[in-house]
Amino acid sequence: MDEIEKLDPRIQECIRKRGFAELSEIQNLALPLAGKGKNLLLIAPTGTGKTEGAMIPVFDGMLRGTGGGFTALYITPLRSLNRDMLQRLSWWCAELGLTIGVRHGDTTASERRRQALSPPDLLITTPETLQALFMGKVLRKHLRNVRYVIVDEIHELAGSKRGAQLSVALERLVQYGGEFQRIGLSATVGNPREVGRFLCGDRDFEEVVVDVTKNLDISVEFTGDQFEKQAQWISEAIDLHGSTLIFVNTRVTAEALGHQLFSRGDVEVHHGSLSRDVRIDAEERFKSGRIKGLICTSSMELGIDIGHIEHVIQFGSPREVSRLVQRIGRAGHSLHETSRGTILALGFDDLLESLVIARRAKAGEVEEVVPPKNPADVLANQVAGLAVEYGNISRQKIREIFSRSYSFAAAGSLLDEVCDQMAEHRLVRIDGEYIINTLRARRYMASNLSMIHDEKKVAVFDMVSRRTVGTLDESFVVGSIYTGVVFITKGQLWRVLDMGEGRITVEPARKVKGELPSWEGEQIPVPFAVAREVGSLRRTRDFESYHAGGEPKKFAGQFLTEMDRNRSIVSTDQLIVIEDAREGIVCNICAGHKANEALGRVLSVLLSARYGTTVGIELGAYRILLRLPGHVKGPDVKELLLGLEPGHTEGILQLALKRTALFKWKLVQIAKKFGAIDQDADYERLSSYKLTELFEGTVVQKEAYRELFSVYMDTARAEQVLEEVRKIQTAVETGRISILGAEGLFSSRDMIAPTSPDQAVISTLKKRIENQDIILGCMNCRKWKSKTVVSRVQENPVCPKCGARLIAVLKPWEESLYAIAAKKEKSEEERSVELRLLRNANIVLSGGKKAVMALAAKGVGPEIASRILATLAEGDAFFREILKAERNYIRTHRYW
Amino acid sequence: MRLEFVGEGPALLVREEIRVLAVADLHLGIESDMARHGMHFRSRSKERMERLEACIRKKKPDLLVLLGDIKHNVPVTSRQEYIELPEAVSRLRALVPVRVFPGNHDTGIGRFFSEEEILPREGGIIDGTGYIHGHTYPAPELAGRLIISGHHHPMVNLQDEVGCSLRSAAYLHVPLEESCIGFSKGGEGGRSRVLFMPAFNELTGYDIRKTVQDPFSPLSRCMKTGEAEVYLTDGTYIGPLSVLEEHGRDREA
Repeated sequence: MDEIEKLDPRIQECIRKRGFAELSEIQNLALPLAGKGKNLLLIAPTGTGKTEGAMIPVFDGMLRGTGGGFTALYITPLRSLNRDMLQRLSWWCAELGLTIGVRHGDTTASERRRQALSPPDLLITTPETLQALFMGKVLRKHLRNVRYVIVDEIHELAGSKRGAQLSVALERLVQYGGEFQRIGLSATVGNPREVGRFLCGDRDFEEVVVDVTKNLDISVEFTGDQFEKQAQWISEAIDLHGSTLIFVNTRVTAEALGHQLFSRGDVEVHHGSLSRDVRIDAEERFKSGRIKGLICTSSMELGIDIGHIEHVIQFGSPREVSRLVQRIGRAGHSLHETSRGTILALGFDDLLESLVIARRAKAGEVEEVVPPKNPADVLANQVAGLAVEYGNISRQKIREIFSRSYSFAAAGSLLDEVCDQMAEHRLVRIDGEYIINTLRARRYMASNLSMIHDEKKVAVFDMVSRRTVGTLDESFVVGSIYTGVVFITKGQLWRVLDMGEGRITVEPARKVKGELPSWEGEQIPVPFAVAREVGSLRRTRDFESYHAGGEPKKFAGQFLTEMDRNRSIVSTDQLIVIEDAREGIVCNICAGHKANEALGRVLSVLLSARYGTTVGIELGAYRILLRLPGHVKGPDVKELLLGLEPGHTEGILQLALKRTALFKWKLVQIAKKFGAIDQDADYERLSSYKLTELFEGTVVQKEAYRELFSVYMDTARAEQVLEEVRKIQTAVETGRISILGAEGLFSSRDMIAPTSPDQAVISTLKKRIENQDIILGCMNCRKWKSKTVVSRVQENPVCPKCGARLIAVLKPWEESLYAIAAKKEKSEEERSVELRLLRNANIVLSGGKKAVMALAAKGVGPEIASRILATLAEGDAFFREILKAERNYIRTHRYW
Repeated sequence: MRLEFVGEGPALLVREEIRVLAVADLHLGIESDMARHGMHFRSRSKERMERLEACIRKKKPDLLVLLGDIKHNVPVTSRQEYIELPEAVSRLRALVPVRVFPGNHDTGIGRFFSEEEILPREGGIIDGTGYIHGHTYPAPELAGRLIISGHHHPMVNLQDEVGCSLRSAAYLHVPLEESCIGFSKGGEGGRSRVLFMPAFNELTGYDIRKTVQDPFSPLSRCMKTGEAEVYLTDGTYIGPLSVLEEHGRDREA
């Protein structure tokens, strides 16, 4: 109680009024440190009084200080959290005679004006709106008063570009009123030191940690893989425990489960695609106890207050330890109470993964939050912001500001590179040492306050019915839509005819083979460490140590016994198994999504180069499916894997990624931040392959690679896997497809084309030759001719009249020549025609179908055909010879 | 007459009595128009002109024929064009005599070329071959000849078995429906046919199939599409239009 007594009496009064008999653990720990003005990182689960732990000392300081508007800024990642905080903190402010306000995207213009004229003492805002404060002349003045900055849910921000932007904004803030006290509020993370550095840069700070993991009671259950049964299980669990949060991993699952449980009448759905009113209503009804179950996505992870939660169910593996800790941490919480949660595993991979994640959660082995280092687009965004803020600003001063922030402390020459690129796009001007504001920069900042990408919708226009049939997300369009592709929308197939002028022109299409473009942005990647431990559990089969219950243990045991009975090899953390399947080749590698993404792309680009075909890839945390032509087998892939040089991974990937959907999409996003493309620009006018060429070798392209290699895939872990293969710490086996290899859904899909672009040309040539009309004529009996197309010709064509194999191949317009062959009396000219036909037939006699194909090509007669056949080229090389001959003909013939 | 496809252009070397290098649709000044549409890039006119000069040096033509749309902005001439065009044109002149068949984007082109250099918009015959930008009805004298035309920026999309595509500039060679285009039958005794050239400007391109389905010029409305042939910029023969159209369809399940 000592600490409370040191506080301003008005605050002591408030604490009594709130009915706090004693302070919570985190409050007790935080108070003395915060009171001394130290920078703090508070780590504790939601609902433990973390916010008050930070705000009580801040209020105390505010009452003692000189005050003024914007004395304290409270920053959260979400508007909905802002509203929640406003509700919670308004009471305190009212009691203490402090003013409070909230400012974010939804704030009305009149409210904004009022805030500019008389700023509240405490302002609750988002990182993006903080950016806007630097732009207003009047608002800017008040920034001098800032003494406290509280960053809530900092773990959500630190790992993203939003966080990097915030870390610069905090340093820009220092320019006004000098240093201020920084307090970060975080969920459990694996690397609190680094998150603290992210908040404070090189300044001193203290960590205050309340360990949640020791109070977690997590069990893993399994009830078969039928959705109805799983829903039934959840229904029973709700009856058993009372107020229950049910976390699912995707919105689609949330809706499906909601549909199944709807008839109960006491279960609601809560996710980001629902309107705000619907969500708030669900929150209220849960809080008041009118509904017992709330099915939610990550939307409920953050600290929105929805009252007491008895039990948390995680539907399917939570994929990450931190996610599980945060989700289950929402249960319980009158002080020292345990948080009870259950994972309902959905399949074999899912079950083992859940067991591993549950163990790691209890052991406190939570993932690290990795702040991006030197993201160039954030740098560009903040340079533009500074230019607008200061009118003109020296590079030296910019460097000073950036070097204090954790994200850009080692930016080095990147700053100059970024400035030059921005100048090329005329976003800023450069005058020697000075970066100068432009009219465009101001407009740019107004539409680029946020590093979160706004998705545009692109209209789909049907040429045939002459009407708009729907819209597509921009990300999908940039990534997967090109002229000629077939995709699904509104449950119908469409082929793209053209893109541009803000719309896609299509015609209805019929069914095609192969994968249709799909976009799955919601998947949560399984980390490397988790996937590896799943591999080790597959190897040891020691389910006892993981406290697996009866059902889970029985199911996992049966699955593995089945594998053994089939003589299938189980891939583990020390064993890669490559399996031949009908669709292609499955590489079972326990390395998690991001490392497998890198490995899968490297393998497919090398395979496509070696075999000259496009390779489709689909992958998940435990396997990679390579869609390959049937003649490429498991041992070929094994050989390739064994020969891979770990150090070459990034180089290969740079080449491989250049032509992918993902890369183009990233490039556009980053180019927008450099001012190259306006937010509302209709850049489909530029076909995107040309767009990628415009950024070749620039810092924009470099940033796209940096982000892909750190966020979308994990090249370091991929190299580790390859290194282990090389040192034979990891063995590689091959086999037929197993039940394990066939398991599971694949989370991402892409096509890797051969690096030489001629594959499409050859493919078109093959198609053209196959459909070429030709006349076959027997040069033995000279009484049989037949019109056909190349594809219908047999391997060795035979005359049905006389049985001879001396068949000449003629183009349709040469048909009249055959009559000459049958003539008894021939002129000298006709004699030479006959000789040519005989040569023609002789080539077919010796060359078979290949000769027929050569002779069907444009301008290819018997001489050229025999030259092509003499090269003995097979497969694609044969078709390349045909292309060469045609080009030569086109160059020399005179009749155009 | 022989045609040489200059892939580095794309450009076309036409040889009969003399060597004529034909180039279409430079669209110098496109960047300032892109900026108006929200895409801000520096001018690439310099690189574009260097590419053209390299083609001239390599092929040593007796005459350079520009098939219209040398500039981009209509109806006004942009600042970028005022600055860049005089120098670009004089550098070309220093290498080879130049002739221009003006295009729809070439309003005010008289400022940059001499009277002698500018030929009719309806096209004309040089060394036996017809040339035209391609936005107007062709002059009657072009009947019965090969007509080389710009304006249509042909481009193709080719796909391989798995669905990966190659997008490339292309040529479209196609006979004309003579009654449709207003030619009296057999002017020169031969068939009237057009070779549509790809744009030299690397930032533009229209899919050939789109042009066929939605023709936007007299020439493209009068094509005998059944006899059309598609070539890549290096002269690779791709095939009849049906090869492009049937993509995907023969993969029906």
